[in-house]
Amino acid sequence: MKKFLPYIFILLIMTGIITIFLSRASQQQMLTVYEGNTEHKPLPIKLGHYQDTQCGMPVEHLMNSAQAIAPNGKTWFFDDVGCLAIWMQDKEFKDKLIIWVYAKDTKTWIDAHKAWYSLTDKTPMHYGFGAHTNKKENYIDFVSMQLRMLRNENMSNPHFRRELLGEH
Amino acid sequence: MIFFSNSVIVFIFIEALLLLLLSIAFINVVGILKSWDFSATSTKQYLLEKRSYLVLLIIFFTLGFKIILLPYFIYMIDELNVLVPGAMCAAGVINSNIYGVYLLSLKVRILFLVGLWIILNHYDLQAKDYPFFKKKLWLFILIFFLIIAESILDIFYLINIVTDTPVSCCSAIYGVSGISNPIPFDLHVSELLGLFYLLYGLTLISALYRYALLSLFSNMAFLYSAYYSVVYFFGTYVYELPTHLCPFCMLQAEYFYSGYFIWGTLFLGTFFGISAALLQYITGKEIKKMYRYSLAFNSAFILFCSSYVLLYYIRNGVFL
Repeated sequence: MKKFLPYIFILLIMTGIITIFLSRASQQQMLTVYEGNTEHKPLPIKLGHYQDTQCGMPVEHLMNSAQAIAPNGKTWFFDDVGCLAIWMQDKEFKDKLIIWVYAKDTKTWIDAHKAWYSLTDKTPMHYGFGAHTNKKENYIDFVSMQLRMLRNENMSNPHFRRELLGEH
Repeated sequence: MIFFSNSVIVFIFIEALLLLLLSIAFINVVGILKSWDFSATSTKQYLLEKRSYLVLLIIFFTLGFKIILLPYFIYMIDELNVLVPGAMCAAGVINSNIYGVYLLSLKVRILFLVGLWIILNHYDLQAKDYPFFKKKLWLFILIFFLIIAESILDIFYLINIVTDTPVSCCSAIYGVSGISNPIPFDLHVSELLGLFYLLYGLTLISALYRYALLSLFSNMAFLYSAYYSVVYFFGTYVYELPTHLCPFCMLQAEYFYSGYFIWGTLFLGTFFGISAALLQYITGKEIKKMYRYSLAFNSAFILFCSSYVLLYYIRNGVFL
């Protein structure tokens, strides 16, 4: 028995090491950028698998999510439309991006530039901009939404939240 | 500007002097290797043996000095952080240009080979018939060429250290500023630690039972996992700050120069573990001492690192 003792220990340790690597491999790996989306169509989002490039949060819900596709097919994912607005501001290729947002009313992916944005929705990052296909009162367009994000005029700002919700 | 620093002047002067001595030794070694025949009783062989004694002494002295020069190099780099804008420790200075990391990595590799040469030389001189004479001279030739490459890199590195534009500090280099995981294989810190202690277990068994091949691979893997464990876990306990991730700051006086002990014991422990296997292959003999040293240094390293965590927990009642 004593003769085999070191081999038993080695075997146990090796099993421990292999278990660590196997458990790591079986865990879901986050994906921040998808390459090769040359059709520039919105990709089916596997929830909890894609990571928001701006805030680092995993995309857990289709609602409020967005995708930005570069001309070369690189696709970035966002859990909140507001994150997308911040992320794209300093990108050289921002005018060439094809942007899809998930519409809350029609539950489909629509062109972000054609969508209308509510101001007081509950969104993952609390910016409040929910994308909709159909326009309603007080909804704003993409450029206005982006401007409000960059000026910090959104629901995450306590001052503006009170103003938007009519609390005084 | 960098070249006006006293420590840089001393470093370059010593490096140049050692290179000169090694070049003299190299020319003689080539001559000795060409005509060496230990079984011959000619005058030429007699003169060669006399010359080899002097040459080996020069090599031993210069390579021994190279061992001291690495900690000095790190100390010098650390000291230079006051001249490099943005650098808070050696990390910023090392990463101030593309040559730094390669240079440091080459220096550590050379140190490893130098250690191997010194041990091989020791066992060769102990035997009456110099059984490893040619092997150690070939090893010296390899080391010599690597030292030439190192000297060229030294110059390129020192010339290109920027003093007018800001460089990144260690928090920016090693810190979690992005969303990607800096630990290899995308491991979590807890998994990395598990791997670290398991690999130590393997080095322990290989040293206790003197398994050469296991000692070689387990020590190599242990060195790799230990580096990341120190930077991303144990280091935070040295600094007592969870966001401070740096392998160099611990070399400073504020942390009682503990980095020298941490990295020193890790290097020595894994060096003896790897060398035990390599020397067994080169000499055909099992050198028990090497396994003992490996066990002692690896254990000292792991005890020292773990004690930081333990003491922190005893003092504060929580982990970082």
